[in-house]
This record gives sequence, C-alpha cells and structure tokens, in this order.
Amino acid sequence: MWLFMVPSLAVMTVVLVYPLASAIYYSFLRYYLGGGAPQFIGLANYVELLGDERFWGDLLNTVIIVGASVALQLVMGMALALALYAATRGVRLISLLNFLPNVVTPVVGAIFLKWIFIGRFGLLDATLISLDIFPPNWLGDPVWAKITLILADTWKFMPFLMLVLYAGLQAFDIQLLEAASIDGANAWQRLRYVILPMMKPLILFVVSIRAMDAFRFFDLVYVLTNGGPGTATETVTLYTYQIGFRMLEVGKASALGVITLIIVAAMIAGLILLMQRRGREAF
Amino acid sequence: MNRRASFQVPLLIALGVFTLINLIPILWGFLISIRQPADAFAIPPKLIFDPTLIFHYQVWIERGFLGFLLNSLIIATGTICISVPIGTLAAYGLARTHARHSRSLLFGLLAVRMFPQILLAIPFFVMARTLNLIDSYWMMILAMVAINQPFTVWLMRSFFMDVPVELDEAALIDGCNRWQAFRLIVLPTVRPGLAVTALFSALLAYNEFLFALILTGSRTKTLPVAIAEYGGEDISYWSLSAAGAIGIMLPVVLFTIAVQRNLIRGLTFGAVKG
Repeated sequence: MWLFMVPSLAVMTVVLVYPLASAIYYSFLRYYLGGGAPQFIGLANYVELLGDERFWGDLLNTVIIVGASVALQLVMGMALALALYAATRGVRLISLLNFLPNVVTPVVGAIFLKWIFIGRFGLLDATLISLDIFPPNWLGDPVWAKITLILADTWKFMPFLMLVLYAGLQAFDIQLLEAASIDGANAWQRLRYVILPMMKPLILFVVSIRAMDAFRFFDLVYVLTNGGPGTATETVTLYTYQIGFRMLEVGKASALGVITLIIVAAMIAGLILLMQRRGREAF
Repeated sequence: MNRRASFQVPLLIALGVFTLINLIPILWGFLISIRQPADAFAIPPKLIFDPTLIFHYQVWIERGFLGFLLNSLIIATGTICISVPIGTLAAYGLARTHARHSRSLLFGLLAVRMFPQILLAIPFFVMARTLNLIDSYWMMILAMVAINQPFTVWLMRSFFMDVPVELDEAALIDGCNRWQAFRLIVLPTVRPGLAVTALFSALLAYNEFLFALILTGSRTKTLPVAIAEYGGEDISYWSLSAAGAIGIMLPVVLFTIAVQRNLIRGLTFGAVKG
C-alpha cells in the first residue's frame, strides 16, 4: 500500500518539507534578498523580535480581532443553525445564499465590504449622514477599525460555522428532544441541557479551526485597513509580510514565521488536551 | 422542534430578512457595477437610476481582466492536474491500511494545513527570486500544490472510506492485483468525490491571494491580485472595479451550486459529512 503514497510523498518533500526546512534555516541568518551573502547570527532575529513592541502589539491585535469575531460567529452561527433546523421550508436556499460570503474570493469580499465602510461614500456613511447621524471613522479610528475588522471577519466566516453546526444538528437523534419536551423542558432548557452538550465536540472542532486560521488572517486586513491607522489593526501575518516582502529581510521574516508556528502549535496541543480531558467526562 | 405554521411564518420572514442583510455588501457591489459613479455615491443612497453594462465590458475587455482570468484558470488547472492524481493515490493507500505510521502521516498532513502559510511563502519567494522564476506559472502552481495536497489527501480519503473494503477484497479474489483493484473497481465508484475534490482544489487556487501577490507579475497576474490593485480609493474607478469584482464572483457562485451536497465535507477536510 505504501507504493500508492510514494508520488504524493515525493512531491510534498520538494514543495512542502524542503521549503519549510529552509525557512527554519533562514530564521538563523541575517539575510537580505539582493543584499550580499547571508550571515549566520544564531538566535539574534528571535531576540530582536521578542523585544519588539510592534510584534507584541500585533499579537494582541490578532488575539482581540479573532477572539471577538470567533465569539460573535459562534453565537450567530449557532442561532442560525437552530433557526434552519426549526424551519420546514426553504432551508437549502437560505443556507446557500447565506453561505456566499464564505466562498466569495476573499479579496473580492473585502472590496465589497470596503464600499460599505469607506468614509463618506460608503453605503453605511451615506445612509447615516442622510439620517443626520454623524458616523464614526470606520476604517481610520484605531478602535473603530478593529470593530470593522471584527464585523468583516464575522461576515466572512459566520456562514461556515452556521453550515457545520447545522450539519451537526441534523445528525442527532430527534427523539432525545422529544423526550425532553415530554419531560417538560422548555425551549431554553432543551438548548442548554440537550442540544449544547451534544454539540460540544463539533463546537470545539470549528472553534479550533477558526483559531488556527487566525494566524492566516491576511486578505481582509490587507484590503480594508492595510494594518492602519498606524499599526492599530496590523496582525502578525501582515507584519511578517511587511518585513519579508517589503523590506526583503528574509531572515527576520522567517523567524517571525517560526514564532507564529510555535504559537499555533501550542494552541493545537492545548486544544487536543482540552478535547481529551472533556472526552473523559463523556459528554 | 416546533413545526406549527404559526411559528414557521415568522421564522421564515426572520431568516429572509437576515439573509437580505447578510447579502447587502454583495448586492451593493452589484448596484455600483451597473451605474455611473455619480449615481453610485449620491447621498442619500440612490435606488433609481439607468442601469448600464458598460463597466463590465470595459473591465473585462479593455482593462485586460480576461487575460487575468486566463492566468487564474491556467494556475487552477495546473494545480488540479498535479495535486489531485497523486493525492488520490495517497488517499487510497491511507484509506486501506491500518499501519500505525499512516495515522501519524495523516495527522502530520492536518498539522501542515494549520501552519501559518506565510512561513511557506517566504522560501517560495526566495526560490523564485534565486531561480529567476518570479512571474512564471510554475512557482505559483507548485505553491498551490503544496497548500492543496494535505487537503486533497484528507478529502479523497474520506470518499474512499465510504467504499466498503469488501469491494477491493472481491476484486483481489477474482484475480486483480492491488493496482487493478484500485484502477478498475474502486476508482470508478469515487468519481463524484474526485469531481468535488477537483472543484475544491480549483477554488482554493482561484481564491488565493497572498502567494499570488508575491509570486506573480505583470505576465501571470491572477484575478484577486488584479482586483486588489483597483481596490478602490479613487472613486472614478469604483464602478469599474465593482464590475470586475462581480465577474470574479460568478464562477464561485457556480461552484457553490455545483458542490452544494458536499460543501460541508469539503470545508471540514472530510471530517464532517453533511
């Protein structure tokens, strides 16, 4: 059976393992593209980054933006999944339509959102101004720009949670719910004591996928705020992009990439532990 | 659940209203694309105007978006042609073996999917620069294969897992060797799965932005990079870039309709069957 895997493994060695190994190697170098021979400097890139306030600020931005939007997505996605589950007609059409923001090319989605949020001429501002409400600076104020990105990320990823949670709801036994009804549980109690406990593994699963996606959060920020104002909405990935592809400091960018990798790996390990612990509680 | 009519009607209305609000950004983009900039940015927003398709014509024909579409399609097709065949073979191997190493390989692949992509983007950029392959289709296709391969293996494996092992065993007893059992008996039964996997791989390559931004140039630019350049600070370009954005979205809509039964499976690496 291993023979079947040989072509894939060979290709992955060339396009995946080799590049990743060289990125890790670069992270120990002072390496400017087009700027002379690389020079081995040990952990200097890492030391520099860990003492860099911009890195910590970006990390905080990433955690705030993604944390808030995942929480929002989870609540909205769950509510929609329950609504779809309760509905008897039009479910397929409604879920497909709501799913569009998730599959739309991310850059295109971000541009659509820009026409909503952009100052003065955006749909939101134009509407608010004509109602004589003075709109906030959605993309230009440090706090509002974060809120806008949280809304943007929610718009894009809520449908994913909706669809997966809805699939989870469909998979479980309706008789349990009926039994709970007969025993006198009201809607809230059925949700709290029957549905949510059964959905826990799936909720953990989608939340962990989204948490890991957090460190790939790039397209929306790039188009909507490009990290601005200042670095108020800059994420770790955007900073890596700036160092690596704008300033061409390959060594330092690789070190930042490796640090990100370590953070993600720690998150994965934490989530696996969490799931195993919860698993023993048999929910 | 509550399936009384008195409950269904308000529920459907609420869902409909939510859907409409959710789609406002897309609908608004469409409206911008079919009217003159002066109408598009009136305050208060204007809902009555003379629709025009001139911007759709301009952006795709005069501004060369058809060429960028071709680039996107070449890269997506190249990715499918490399990634899906080898991924399918590996997926079959993994679906039919219980060796301990196969489990660690599968989870290794999943871990790769969770990697920060930018870490992979850096060495690809360095390789492209040193080999002088910036602005060539090859680097971009190889990068897409790298991102795509773990996904292809997992998804195809989930389709192979749905095929009963007894089918292989019967073929082996009838005198097929492993390859023949795979090629003649099992592969034809997963054809729909192959189509779904190919479509998802195409979408992944079609939507990719970060790698396209660093690896493509004026000759090989893909649609997402082209539209991002029009991004839209300058108001006079908005109608034009809206027309581009709507056009880029159309294949994605078709994709969604085509794979709707397998959406959830594709989105979750085959882990959740919808």
